[in-house]
Amino acid sequence: MNVKRLAETAGYTVFTEGEDREIESGYCGDFLSNIISRAPDSCAWLTVMNNVNVAAVATLIDCACIILCEGVEPDGPLKARAEMQGIWILGAKQNVFEETKRVAAVCGI
Amino acid sequence: MDCIRLEYDVDGENFSSAGNASESVKRTLKQMGVSAASVRRVAIAMYEGEINMVIHAHGGRAEAEIYPDRIDIYLKDSGPGIADIDLAMKAGYSTATENIRSLGFGAGMGLPNMKKYSDEMRIDSTVGVGTTVFLRINF
Repeated sequence: MNVKRLAETAGYTVFTEGEDREIESGYCGDFLSNIISRAPDSCAWLTVMNNVNVAAVATLIDCACIILCEGVEPDGPLKARAEMQGIWILGAKQNVFEETKRVAAVCGI
Repeated sequence: MDCIRLEYDVDGENFSSAGNASESVKRTLKQMGVSAASVRRVAIAMYEGEINMVIHAHGGRAEAEIYPDRIDIYLKDSGPGIADIDLAMKAGYSTATENIRSLGFGAGMGLPNMKKYSDEMRIDSTVGVGTTVFLRINF
């Protein structure tokens, strides 16, 4: 499933948009060294980390989208950099575990 | 042998441009048709090095030399230096502050990741003078 469709289906807030890509897998985590070395390409990355470094890591791992969980919003620098680089940032209300289950069910991954 | 040489100033004032050098090198390698797996290894190793310079050394200079079969990366800073390189290389060891940890760093995985994803790594460091890290990644 593509990112836009996931956002609509799951009712996620769209903070920033990018290329509407297929979500092929998922990864959860907040420690950026783990994310960059382990998250698969074209994944949905679920996290509660919301600073500007998230955009740099998202670009380097080529994830399909970032999903900020637990009602977290991107801070100003993150939003600006994501807009500039065309990175999807979605917002979800529940915790990472619950949102991971939702993404897996909706996307069939 | 001829190579493509790329040079970047790594701004140590804040994180707003951290990762720019790695992203630029990644884009260049992709355009050159280097395999996705190799590009990923370069991106990981170089980003960790860039971040180290921002966190520990108030920035520095990143230089990349791209050859047909490999990339050589030099990360040079004039920071505090590393007193005990063996200790710094240990996974999980970190001197990052609580503030840095709250940004998602400081897991003590930076140098181990750089070693893991490169084919050669050398650290030359003098306390009070600075550090140069050399990374070679074969395609």
